[in-house]
Amino acid sequence: MYSNLEALGIDVGSSTVKAVAVDGSGVILWHHMESAEPRVVPQVDHFLKMVSEKFGDISGIPLVATGYGRRLVHVASKQITEISCHARGVFKQLGHGGTLVDIGGQDSKVIIISSTGAVEDFAMNDKCAAGSGRFLENTADRLRVDIDKIGKIALSSTEETYISSTCTVFAESEVISKIANGIAVETILKGLHRSLTLRIVTMIRSLGSLPPLMLSGGVVKNPAIRYMLSEETKEPVVLPDLPQLMGAYGAALIALT
Amino acid sequence: MSLQQLKIPKRKDVINEFKARGGKIAAVLPIHYPRALFRAFSILPIELWGPPKIDNSFSGSHLQAYVCSIVHNALSFLKIGGLDEVDFILVPHTCDSLQGLGSLLVDFVTTTKKVLTLYLPRDKGEPGYEFLGHEILRIYTILSQITGLHPDDALLFDAIHIEEQADKALAELYFKRKKLGLGNMDFYRLIRTREFLPAEHFIKLSQSVLSVSAAKSFNGLPVVLSGIIPEPMELLDELSRMGISVAADDLACCGRRLYQPGVSMNPFRRLSENLFSAAPDPTRGDSLESRIQYLKSLVYKSKAKGVIFYDVKFCEPELFDLPDLKKALKGQGIPSLTLEVDINDPISSQMLTRIETFLEVIR
Repeated sequence: MYSNLEALGIDVGSSTVKAVAVDGSGVILWHHMESAEPRVVPQVDHFLKMVSEKFGDISGIPLVATGYGRRLVHVASKQITEISCHARGVFKQLGHGGTLVDIGGQDSKVIIISSTGAVEDFAMNDKCAAGSGRFLENTADRLRVDIDKIGKIALSSTEETYISSTCTVFAESEVISKIANGIAVETILKGLHRSLTLRIVTMIRSLGSLPPLMLSGGVVKNPAIRYMLSEETKEPVVLPDLPQLMGAYGAALIALT
Repeated sequence: MSLQQLKIPKRKDVINEFKARGGKIAAVLPIHYPRALFRAFSILPIELWGPPKIDNSFSGSHLQAYVCSIVHNALSFLKIGGLDEVDFILVPHTCDSLQGLGSLLVDFVTTTKKVLTLYLPRDKGEPGYEFLGHEILRIYTILSQITGLHPDDALLFDAIHIEEQADKALAELYFKRKKLGLGNMDFYRLIRTREFLPAEHFIKLSQSVLSVSAAKSFNGLPVVLSGIIPEPMELLDELSRMGISVAADDLACCGRRLYQPGVSMNPFRRLSENLFSAAPDPTRGDSLESRIQYLKSLVYKSKAKGVIFYDVKFCEPELFDLPDLKKALKGQGIPSLTLEVDINDPISSQMLTRIETFLEVIR
């Protein structure tokens, strides 16, 4: 049992649910992540049970919820948007501002964080899956390639094909036609990564980038996205230690205050 | 005070009552038009901002997919019989899409309604006044031919004066909005009755609202709302729920139509002066600089913490100015948020997340 648990954050995202527990200085004591279930409430209950088993009685411990399912976390003392939470988490971990790109399963966000950690501006691509992790998931599935390997495979290609469709569904059809034309899978994958990266870069440019470029969210695990973002923006990319947990971590830090 | 206590009549009841008294109805598309001219002919203008949330698939064979939902809905509404009670349709040349709709209604879409167009000048100098005066006179001539009526200057000025009083009542509601105790939704429901109530009824309604002292004022984090229409209107309830108060607006259907009375004793010139007197509007060719200054003044006067641009998707006049407006506001340290809507869509949770984030930023 830990006696120094001071706050909890839970990020109910569209692909995964994450929870972070912190002490009074914001040091992460525990974290957990699972694939998101369609029923949010039982999954949140399950998370809280795990926390209780780890830390004992958690009544009175402040909890902030974030993510698209945040409103369904009824026990939370506050619901805060994922943009504010990601900014808070990344700023605490990296200790500086800049341009944060968070590529999630359902949407992607670009957040300008000031030198004091405040959110100065933000842009969201939330109307279409084309700029999100779902874009890669769908096409990886169509190409029968493991999602965890697509970045590496894409980078292994010396050639790249242009994906013209700006829509996930149409991109899938385009992929099929490229396969039918005998184009190699790795070449197609490289084109798909470029397509997603350029959409993110457009958002970054719409806000006016403030260096350095920082990344969070599940798609950060993909090396091709990291490489291409750096290549397109001509900026080095900085990653926090636990990029997928930054939303939940930021929520816990907000709960702490 | 709640608006439920005020018993706001429904559009349909207003139309039926006006027709029962021998009047005629004109459906009027956005944004600016000479209300008093129509009233002088015993025609009640009923504005058609869509309407929202209808099946707009009936317009697809005539309009491109990149035409805004207001124009799509208006044509669909006509085709499904929504304008059966109407005698005339007025299509001001507000934007290319509305001009296109005007041409379609005149030349291609079969309708039993008399369709009138109004070309608005893009110049506010003397040629602009002259042009608009001629346009209003042209509509006067058409209405005279159709109705057989020839309202003289005295009759025209009777109508002009009552509309000017209604404009004054509208301005007073805006001026005293904080003291009215109305939430976002109730305030805009009240203001938007100007779109269909006869001026004399609107004046009475305004007076009854202004005569009641609010028990408590509606407080929230003040923002300015800019765009065309606050549709779907649930947006206003959502803003209230989040603790946001719309402290001022630059909405085409509302605050951008706070007209001042004219001074000329020529009725056509007077109506032109009236239409030119309102806040800067891209559809009337107002400069970007004047819009920037106006938005800044709204922010400073209302002590707003930021501006929400709530634009209808594919609305070219609004979207052309948007990047420069945002840049200018940012330069002044005024944060802004852009939201794009189709007036048939419900408010999405993604949109609510954007607004909540904006609130977290400006708070």
